[in-house]
Amino acid sequence: MEELAITTEVTQYIKIRIQDEYFGIDIKYVDNIVRMQHITRVPMAPSYIKGVINLRGEVIPVFSLRLKMGLEEIEENKSFRIIILKYEGESVGIIVDEVREVANVASNDVEKVYHNNTDSIQNFLSGVGKTENGLISLLDIVEVLNDKAI
Amino acid sequence: MDVSQYLDIFIDETKEHLQNLNTHILSLEQDGENMDTINEIFRAAHSLKGMAGTMGYKRMQTLTHDMENVFSEVRNGAIKVDSDMIDLLFKCLDALEEYLATIQETADEGTNDNEPLIKGLNDILNSKNSPKADDGKKEEKEEKIEEKTENKLQEKWKDIKIDDSVKTVIEEGMKKNFKAYGITVYIQEACLLKAARAFLVFKALEDLGEVLLSNPSAQDIEDESFEFDFSVIFLTDKPFDQVISAIKYVSEIEDAVGSEVVFGEEKEAEEEAAASEEKASEEQTLPANTESKPAPSKSSAPASSAASNNNAVEKKTAGKPVVNRTVRVDIEKLDSLMNLVSELIISKNSLVSVAGSVVGTSNISFNEQIEYLESVTTNLHESVMKVRMVPIENTVNKFPRMIRDLSKKLNKKMELYMTGEDTELDRTVVDEIGDPLMHLLRNSADHGLESAEIRAERGKPEVGSIYLDAYQDGNNVVIEVRDDGNGIDIEAVKNKAIEKGKITKEQAEVMSDKEVIDLLFQPSFSTAKVVSDVSGRGVGLDVVKSKIEALSGEIEVKTKLGEGSTFIIRLPLTLAIIQALMVVVGDEKYAISLGAIQTIESISSSDIKKVQGKEVINLRGAVIPLVRLNRILELEDKEDKSQDMIVLIAKKGDRFAGLVVDELIGQMEIVIKPMGKYAGSCKLISGATILGDGEVALILDANALI
Repeated sequence: MEELAITTEVTQYIKIRIQDEYFGIDIKYVDNIVRMQHITRVPMAPSYIKGVINLRGEVIPVFSLRLKMGLEEIEENKSFRIIILKYEGESVGIIVDEVREVANVASNDVEKVYHNNTDSIQNFLSGVGKTENGLISLLDIVEVLNDKAI
Repeated sequence: MDVSQYLDIFIDETKEHLQNLNTHILSLEQDGENMDTINEIFRAAHSLKGMAGTMGYKRMQTLTHDMENVFSEVRNGAIKVDSDMIDLLFKCLDALEEYLATIQETADEGTNDNEPLIKGLNDILNSKNSPKADDGKKEEKEEKIEEKTENKLQEKWKDIKIDDSVKTVIEEGMKKNFKAYGITVYIQEACLLKAARAFLVFKALEDLGEVLLSNPSAQDIEDESFEFDFSVIFLTDKPFDQVISAIKYVSEIEDAVGSEVVFGEEKEAEEEAAASEEKASEEQTLPANTESKPAPSKSSAPASSAASNNNAVEKKTAGKPVVNRTVRVDIEKLDSLMNLVSELIISKNSLVSVAGSVVGTSNISFNEQIEYLESVTTNLHESVMKVRMVPIENTVNKFPRMIRDLSKKLNKKMELYMTGEDTELDRTVVDEIGDPLMHLLRNSADHGLESAEIRAERGKPEVGSIYLDAYQDGNNVVIEVRDDGNGIDIEAVKNKAIEKGKITKEQAEVMSDKEVIDLLFQPSFSTAKVVSDVSGRGVGLDVVKSKIEALSGEIEVKTKLGEGSTFIIRLPLTLAIIQALMVVVGDEKYAISLGAIQTIESISSSDIKKVQGKEVINLRGAVIPLVRLNRILELEDKEDKSQDMIVLIAKKGDRFAGLVVDELIGQMEIVIKPMGKYAGSCKLISGATILGDGEVALILDANALI
């Protein structure tokens, strides 16, 4: 995260919406974006794990980003998408309220955020990026996937 | 010569030879007089030497050469086998393994000359009365003589049928002062590139004249489908000696023998052909018998009455008696084949579900097609699986040697008895199972077997016994490691656990024996009072357990204090595709491996009894606990209680459980897909599968429910 502040590379982020806040997911982790489909529940799994889906013959677990962030679940609607992330060879899907666009964020437009123990959303962020269409909170995917707390 | 491309073959074959040597030297220790064993050892050492030489590994060659010398003296009866010698030989094998390991990593044998070992070997040789140099010569001479006699007996070219057209050619040639020779060429048995050598021989011959006929055919020779000899009928105007020396000029040619084809008696000869064929086969079996002492390969050949025009075949069985004819296939290629089969099955399943959804139309032929597809996929699956199956032999063969070493190290007398080495398992499983088994065997040797004094006190035979039994049990392969030692001291385990703070005294009092034994499988738990080299560092059983569970297997312990313990490992036969029963629980579909299910029963709810607050049923005299799957899977109870319940009776070892489901869908072949590490680590779910309609169904592990 330190490096992000120093160099001036432009990183592409998938801009997504949860509730009324926009988040960015570094495009290098994104494998695919698919519409909502039937999700098979996995018993005795943490509540944020919605289950598993079939993506072209592979079985992939799916998280609810809302639940992971400690937000309420809302009724599924047409704008819901599953973003398939690939990290360390493992695929995992996360459910978001909406996918907007690809945003370019230069590294010197990124404000650092400080983690605290009270706000679970903030702990998932690597920074806040300024774009021409407003601010987006940049998700730290590694943190989102590794976090076992919720 | 660039030999790097043969490195893989070299490594594989060297491993095989080393394993062979290990096994046979071990049996030599038991029976130092057994000529078959000595010959087998000699042969393996000889091939090793040849191979190392070809590849240019001089140090390896020197060491094997000296080992071979010792074996040769043993064979001649000049040296008696003793325990020190066996120890030294084993050390040599270890050194060779070291070379091999270095070669595997760097393609170079390293710089360790292993001089002490070579000196040791030479000391053994020198310890005999006669000086060593003489022996070397004598031995070489003997070898030569032996080979000569062998060769003379087999001028195989005489078996070649000379047909009329060839005869005309020869007769034409004779008029021009050409002569026809029949020649049989022997290639050294250690030769890796037989076809190439044969090609060089042919090339040399064609410079001098014309090869009219060959046996085996030129094509067969090119394909290397011949043993270590081939015969030709050759027409030339050059003297016979020149021809022979030209052949011998090609490297790795053992010898070439032959004589002129005489045509005057041709007709007679032809008539005789049938007779001589019989004779030839006689001749072949005869030397085989007389030679059975020095040439091991021959001795194990069946003295069959195979017709002599099957010479090649006979020679084949004679040449390589023990080693399986195997094809080494890259496991990745098999995996991709396996994936294709999986895809095929999935697509078949979708067809089935489409067929089911088309209502009212007559789709008989459609169904026929599906059935056909089904039989194809099943067969394909089976044959691919079979390719992946290997006997556990390769893995367990190293254990007798290990036990011998342990026996010396621990100063306890013990013997390992193995059965079922030919039991086959998936390649990946066989590769992985070696370490856990080794841990268990070491465990038995170190903790299990008592010291000689205690054994005597208890009236047990002085030599402790360790058994390794493998067998197939339904869809599982069971491997048991058993010993007649002390067994597990439950109280000692309890005390240790309390001491380590794993459990409290109160807990210890109410724990069942089984629960106590399970403690042994927890990380860093060892009851050995003294930490030894062999075991007792507290890593072991927990590693064994996690390894076996990673292979979807399970481990169970039976023990009786003072009488010994048995570790029972169950492993699934196949990993990727299973026959499963599809069931509905709540409104979700689940698959359960059919292998785990004994019967399906319909039980009325009035038959359920309560024992200690748990639901059980009495089924044909057996009391079986009930597992309500919906509760375990966090689903609501069904409201309608009046109906009979569907209960699957599942079996694990000798325990049963009745799994209550809501509905049966039927039997199906499913492809197991991993769920990835982010899907939670639920023990009940062993994976997922994709159904015909693209939906994902989870696979319940019945074993985890019992």
